Amino acid sequence: MSTTSAGLEFHDVTVAYGRRPVLWNVDLTVPGACLFGIVGPNGAGKSTLLKAALGLVPLAGGEVRILGAPLEQVRARVGYVPQRESVDWDFPVSVTDVVLMGTYARLGWLRRPGPRERALAAECLDRVGLADVAERQIGRLSGGQQQRVFLARALAQQADVYFLDEPMAGVDARSQERIFRVLSDLRAEGRLVVIVHHDLRSVAEWFDAVALIDMRLVATGPVAEVLTPENLRRTYAGRLDVLDEIGRAVAEGGRTS
Amino acid sequence: MIEIDTTHVWMHFWAIATAATVSAACALVGSFLVVRRLSLLGDAISHAVLPGIVLAVLAGGRPGGAGVFLGAVVAALVTVWLTNLLGTHAGLAEDAGAGVAFTTLFAIGVVLVSALASQVDIDPGCVLYGILELVPFDTVPIFGLEVPRALLAAATVLAVLVVAAALCWKELVFTAFDPAAARAAGLPVGIVSAGLLVATSLATVASFEAVGAILVVAMLAVPAAAAELLVRRFHLMLVVAVALGIAGSIVGYLAAWHFNTNAAGMIAVVLGIEYLLAALLAPGDGVVARVVSRESLRWRVACEDRLASLWRAEEGDAAALAPRTLLDRLAQARLVFGGRIVPGRAGGLTDIGREEARVIVRSHRLWEAWLGRHVALPLDHLHPPAEWIEHHLGAEVRGRIAADLEGDEGDPHGRDIPPEEFPRRAADEPTR
Repeated sequence: MSTTSAGLEFHDVTVAYGRRPVLWNVDLTVPGACLFGIVGPNGAGKSTLLKAALGLVPLAGGEVRILGAPLEQVRARVGYVPQRESVDWDFPVSVTDVVLMGTYARLGWLRRPGPRERALAAECLDRVGLADVAERQIGRLSGGQQQRVFLARALAQQADVYFLDEPMAGVDARSQERIFRVLSDLRAEGRLVVIVHHDLRSVAEWFDAVALIDMRLVATGPVAEVLTPENLRRTYAGRLDVLDEIGRAVAEGGRTS
Repeated sequence: MIEIDTTHVWMHFWAIATAATVSAACALVGSFLVVRRLSLLGDAISHAVLPGIVLAVLAGGRPGGAGVFLGAVVAALVTVWLTNLLGTHAGLAEDAGAGVAFTTLFAIGVVLVSALASQVDIDPGCVLYGILELVPFDTVPIFGLEVPRALLAAATVLAVLVVAAALCWKELVFTAFDPAAARAAGLPVGIVSAGLLVATSLATVASFEAVGAILVVAMLAVPAAAAELLVRRFHLMLVVAVALGIAGSIVGYLAAWHFNTNAAGMIAVVLGIEYLLAALLAPGDGVVARVVSRESLRWRVACEDRLASLWRAEEGDAAALAPRTLLDRLAQARLVFGGRIVPGRAGGLTDIGREEARVIVRSHRLWEAWLGRHVALPLDHLHPPAEWIEHHLGAEVRGRIAADLEGDEGDPHGRDIPPEEFPRRAADEPTR
């Protein structure tokens, strides 16, 4: 087998919750070093695709390769920014505590973050513009600031591939701008950034390439080629009721009408 | 009156030491449960371990012995496994699944205890409420000292828990805060979570003899919940929770002795009082702090309104003179005392008072002008919002608003906006 230069490959990936497929036969290759958007309507399976790549949901079929290798071999090179609502922001930790978590996996068992990790955390906070709230409890931040804390934690991981799940949801314009700038810098440093995103306007402005998803891959490629009226209509206009129906039949072990 | 002799004192000392140790172990584990919003899991496990304990005793284990701990941990893991099973295969929600699993196991335990009463030396009442008072009578000799078996068990568990928490600190905290990201980063989230369950069952079993299945939930959840109100960092929360647990045990035991009542129950009551005090007195979010902050704002507003109305009186708006409400009068007295208002009936502004009043009136009119420019509000709707916001504008934002309004000389009502700084008279200039 030759190693490919692709950053992220989905080979015929199907994901099911229980027995019900929610994402069908996604076959997608993302080249290295770009801002790549996963875009589609609510319930299209965008976050599910991301979680499948990270091994957070089991694959019902197919294979994911990151940097040409299975996830287990490259986990340390993968950074993840989950949806902001996925955690309890009243948790008693400071901003710096959260960013330091990004260094935990590399530190390994028993080792504590030391001066080097603290310096790294401070640098990452500075990159996202939060140096002045480093010691604040995370619940006292605005939504945009909380999202940037998550981004800083991922930066502290010093990964080569970043996955971000809806990083712009509920985020003010200033934070959005800042986050996009940091992500562009990552691309400039030769890293791959994969973003689940919902706002079509900013896709054209910031992203290099995009995949339109609605329970299956509708189209993928450079933004200018993919965001055609025809592709958008196929992604957003009509639910593919047939996939829904078949999915339900599979889950129930029955047959469609 | 109780005769005080040394035996007596030793007895109480051992009982208190046991309660405090048990409490510390529970508070330690409970802190993790509370921040993960899993307090009720402690409840579930504390009940579900009963059949494990009964079976272990039946197999020849001694209460507080290693066999009993093993039985309890196995029973706890069975509960969790059953809960997951019910969740994934029977489609039951997680809380309902836990509810089914732990009540069923507890019921099996109760049935076993009653049915095997002749063979098993377990008192159902003791299982539910514990008998802290009897702990000092079952001792083992250690270096010539008769140490209660329950204390020995609790101290061992506490030591194990402290070491485990210290060794797995990073993993525990990351998993508790953000399990998905921890898993994505490659941390052993499943093992850490299972470890927390084992720790919970260990702490529970260690507490069983002293406080019973029902009140151990108080020891797990209450000190940790109180600590979460008091501090904002997790490691501090652990320390505070353990301290509250120990303090509650000591005070509770002594209170029970004084009132001649059940010690475990009294400890739980004292822990509840601690939580209440924490909710009242917590810095920032506590009831008292919120009342103080609200009232001090009201007081500041009253004083500032007083100054502003005197300023307007000096401008010729005579309607703004006499203080009307009690708060106004108090504010007036405070301002006279503080040298802002000249004493006496006429009561004009002093120089300092005028400085401060000017800032308030400036804030008020700047805000009216800003609203008039940027927000579609009728002229007669501008005053109330400005009356409110005038108390919250600082110099920096006033400067920005003034810059934004450049060109507009007065407020929308045509009155002058007082300047930020009065031109100083030459006599005021500091001499060098």
